[in-house]
Amino acid sequence: MSDAIIVARHLSHTYQSGPLQKAALIDVSLEIERGSCVAIIGFNGSGKTTLVQHFNGLLRPSEGTIIVDGIDVGAGNVDLRALRQRVGMLFQFPEGQLFGRTVFADISFGPRRMNLSRREIRTRVLEALEAVGLPHHEYAWRSPFDLSGGQMRRVALAGVLAMRPSILVLDEPTVGLDASGREEFYSYLGRIRREQGVTIVLVSHDMAEVSSLADQLFVMYEGRQVMEGSPRTIFAQGEQLRQWKLAPPPLSELLALLRRRGLAIPSDTFTLDEAFSVLQHSAQKSL
Amino acid sequence: MSKPSLIDIQHISYAYPASKGKKGETQPVAALREVNLQVRQGEYLVVLGHNGSGKSTLARHCNALLLPDDGRVLVSGLDTRDTSKQRTIRERVGIIFQNPDNQIIATVVEDDVAWALAVRGLPAAVIRERVDAAMAAVGITQLRQLPPHKLSGGQRQRVAIAGMLALRPQCIIADEATAMLDPLSRQEITLLLHQLNQEHGLTIIQVTHLLEEAALAQRVAVMEQGRIVLEGPPATIFADLERLRALKLAIPDPVELADRLRRAGMMLSPTAVTVEAIAEEIIP
Repeated sequence: MSDAIIVARHLSHTYQSGPLQKAALIDVSLEIERGSCVAIIGFNGSGKTTLVQHFNGLLRPSEGTIIVDGIDVGAGNVDLRALRQRVGMLFQFPEGQLFGRTVFADISFGPRRMNLSRREIRTRVLEALEAVGLPHHEYAWRSPFDLSGGQMRRVALAGVLAMRPSILVLDEPTVGLDASGREEFYSYLGRIRREQGVTIVLVSHDMAEVSSLADQLFVMYEGRQVMEGSPRTIFAQGEQLRQWKLAPPPLSELLALLRRRGLAIPSDTFTLDEAFSVLQHSAQKSL
Repeated sequence: MSKPSLIDIQHISYAYPASKGKKGETQPVAALREVNLQVRQGEYLVVLGHNGSGKSTLARHCNALLLPDDGRVLVSGLDTRDTSKQRTIRERVGIIFQNPDNQIIATVVEDDVAWALAVRGLPAAVIRERVDAAMAAVGITQLRQLPPHKLSGGQRQRVAIAGMLALRPQCIIADEATAMLDPLSRQEITLLLHQLNQEHGLTIIQVTHLLEEAALAQRVAVMEQGRIVLEGPPATIFADLERLRALKLAIPDPVELADRLRRAGMMLSPTAVTVEAIAEEIIP
């Protein structure tokens, strides 16, 4: 019944440099639902970036298979061009990849290479700008280098969106942005997902940050997938997360401390509202 | 109680020259307006503010990287505008920045820590002793022979801090030094700064946009549009969450939760701003 857009089966990847081998990905199996938003979480070197680089064929599996939107990435005759149009990828610090003289020129670079009509290119660029909250009449003809860091990052995102991908992979998309820049970025991402039905894959080492957006989290550690589940079930793990060098969100930490002090708090308490009502209730009982 | 000011910032204003306007015209952008701040020897001060509030500009005035247009900055009595004193000032007050890679030079950790000492022509034995002490203080002794690119972001930030410590400064300014790190390394670096403050009596100025990093400070100054708009111990600053939200600062969930419980009638001390302290208040 499920409609998986990405399916990995026993996927392994070994980097080879001279005589040295390094297993970066070990026997990973996962499915990502079409139209969902998932996050791949892990400490530095856990293999999360290696994993998503298989999604658009930047890397090929050493062992196992990976099927992305019907395309077998490991196949010898794989059409990488088609694959990369379907899988848009935004790397870390994408503002470093802007190069156009104007915002319009930068965003239209991808569509222009897809042999589209000028009219179609224009439509796509304007739509993409709209989607990331930069009105075209104000931004299209400015130099991307005069924008703030958060705006530059949104221009980079628009450049990927203009290719109309069915999957959007974002590697640490908000590192270096402040709280408001981050919230802004996520709100546009949420809107793109709702309005365009794009499947979104986030890569992050900060689970608290992505939990509001993602339906499903995959936790990676030392090349293996060690856990999979909703943010709610994964945050309930508390101490276990520290073993994988991940910081539990501050609220989960507080609840864990309270449990250790003998307060009965259901293990799936997750949001601020839930914590509030549980604590208010228990306080009334103890009075 | 009245320790002398290590850094005495007196009514400084500063505008960045020639920021490019839309059509190439240049107009100065006021980054600091009439800022007054005294930092005592041995203090742990956190300067909070969102991007563009002026907090980094202020930090750069503390060791003469920037010089005020108006007013003056004294570092243990030395005026930062006096070019003959700037070298001394920068030895007393060091800054570490957001990206450790921008200040790592050498190919091996211990060489990098020794760099500034070697440049100053200190005797080899002194360099050895200071480098060892600095690496021990930040916990990177076991990494001494590694090339920096093999280290994690948090470890590289430690290397940058050690390089500064080797100069035996009186004050370290951490300018968004945790912004590029993962959450665990972020907590570790903040912890390290506190440790250096308590065990070595180092004055620390931590510049950040994260409220949770201010929880353990002795004093917090909040900046907005080039001015200090709030100042006091964390408990006072954290008491008005609405104000902090208006200043575009994200409120940590546990602090928000404690605030809501307090308003619902629970007796929680407003001085509890860390996760541990809040838990202690809820269940004594």
